[in-house]
Amino acid sequence: MSAPKLSIDRVGKRFDAAGHASTVAVQDFTLDVHRGEFLAIVGPSGCGKTTVLNLLAGLELPSEGSVAIDGRQIAGPAPERGVMFQDYALFPWQTVEGNVAFGLRYGPAGAGMSDAARADRVRKCIDLVGLAGSEHKYPHQLSGGMRQRTALARLMAMEPQVLLMDEPLAALDAQTRIILQGELLRIWGQERPASERRTVVFITHAIDEAVFLADRVAVMTSHPGRLKALIDVTLPRPRDDATRATPAFQALVQTIWALIRDEAYRAIVT
Amino acid sequence: MNARPFDFARGALLPIALVTLWQAWVMLAGPSRAPVPTRVALAAWDLVASNELPMALLQSVGRVFGGFAVAAALAVPLGLAMGTSARVERALDPLVESFRPIAAIAILPLAILWLGTGTAAAVAIVAYAAFFPIVINTVAGAQRVPATLLRAAATMGLGRAATLRTVVIPSALPSIGTGLRIGMGVAWTAIVAAELAVGAKAGGGGSGGVGQMMFVYYAYSIELNRIVVCMIAVGLVAFALDRLIRGALAFAMPWTAR
Repeated sequence: MSAPKLSIDRVGKRFDAAGHASTVAVQDFTLDVHRGEFLAIVGPSGCGKTTVLNLLAGLELPSEGSVAIDGRQIAGPAPERGVMFQDYALFPWQTVEGNVAFGLRYGPAGAGMSDAARADRVRKCIDLVGLAGSEHKYPHQLSGGMRQRTALARLMAMEPQVLLMDEPLAALDAQTRIILQGELLRIWGQERPASERRTVVFITHAIDEAVFLADRVAVMTSHPGRLKALIDVTLPRPRDDATRATPAFQALVQTIWALIRDEAYRAIVT
Repeated sequence: MNARPFDFARGALLPIALVTLWQAWVMLAGPSRAPVPTRVALAAWDLVASNELPMALLQSVGRVFGGFAVAAALAVPLGLAMGTSARVERALDPLVESFRPIAAIAILPLAILWLGTGTAAAVAIVAYAAFFPIVINTVAGAQRVPATLLRAAATMGLGRAATLRTVVIPSALPSIGTGLRIGMGVAWTAIVAAELAVGAKAGGGGSGGVGQMMFVYYAYSIELNRIVVCMIAVGLVAFALDRLIRGALAFAMPWTAR
């Protein structure tokens, strides 16, 4: 096995609030993510999934342990690790085109890039997510699904080595969600050989979504957030709607549900 | 677009009703020296035809623009600094908040002593008055930039200066715009007050402007109708300037158009 792309090594993360006991969001968390792997993290709300993602993004720094990319310690955010936020974090004053081009235009990722090359890449990313024709719309003029696509195009335009996605489909209705799950796999490149795919860490609370998308599913439990299990998803790629109907798919969903069921019930009752 | 003439008619309805009521009241029950719309209209005609009012207004508008520009040039950068740095805000907020309740008119004596009874004093008063609403709204706008947008910029590798330029300022722009509009309104109240007071000090001579003109009609030749004309003119010009700023802001912020 080659060296991991991302490694989270015995990480703990506490949040200190003035006047309160500090909250332990993540405790003793160890996980390697392989190059080109699609890893999903599932768990009940409040289990620290987002904290793990923020640690990988460099938006938070660990209280204990270390987080590394290619063996280098992560000390802050960088364009090599692109993030797609749960609320999409689109800039309301930028059009679709402006949002997709944002990081290339104003950040280091576009340094030395000619205007033509940048426009070309932006164009391709907008086409990739099926937003051609909506380039000049502002976010408030878009549907939820279109905003999600814009955020995805912005992420792809940066060509990051690692894609970090925080419940990117959570705000969408069920039908749009299923369609976009399929598109996500296409854009990620499930048709291509594994060596050409980008590394993805995908946070979700939907077990079926995790199983459908991922190569491995990390199951977390809460208070404090810990890694409970790592499940290999051996379903063949490319996956499509037929995959969801297979017994293997159903069995995996059931297995993961059994792991977090008790806690999910407890979270509702308390 | 079709709604425009209708909207205008609806907007004019209330003023017309008030003027009619005013005329009726004076004719039926008012004191004999009360200004009446018909006489005010005649006075307005005189003042416009003689070019007196336009010249005075022009001078006042020039001072308002001057003072407003000074205020904006100081208040917007300062507000951004305070809104983005807790340390700068802690250092400056007590100062801003303790000067803020001191009315512009209250610094007039100092302004006259230091700057004389001309344009410089008037501009200083206007700048002082307009400064506070602009700085306070800019601070609020810069502080209310959604954290997730700042995080998004950070993950794309933007540094502090680039984030300020491409995230903080556009995000704060609607709030800065509100500050500019309020500042412009305050600038008008300040200029009239300043010119009135400066006019008193200068004994009716020289300094000019619409406030000075009102002082002359009040203190030297008692002409209520002309004073009312000046009041209405100030209101109309302020209204026009507000529309101008709103238009400029709408142009600068196409994403806020629904």
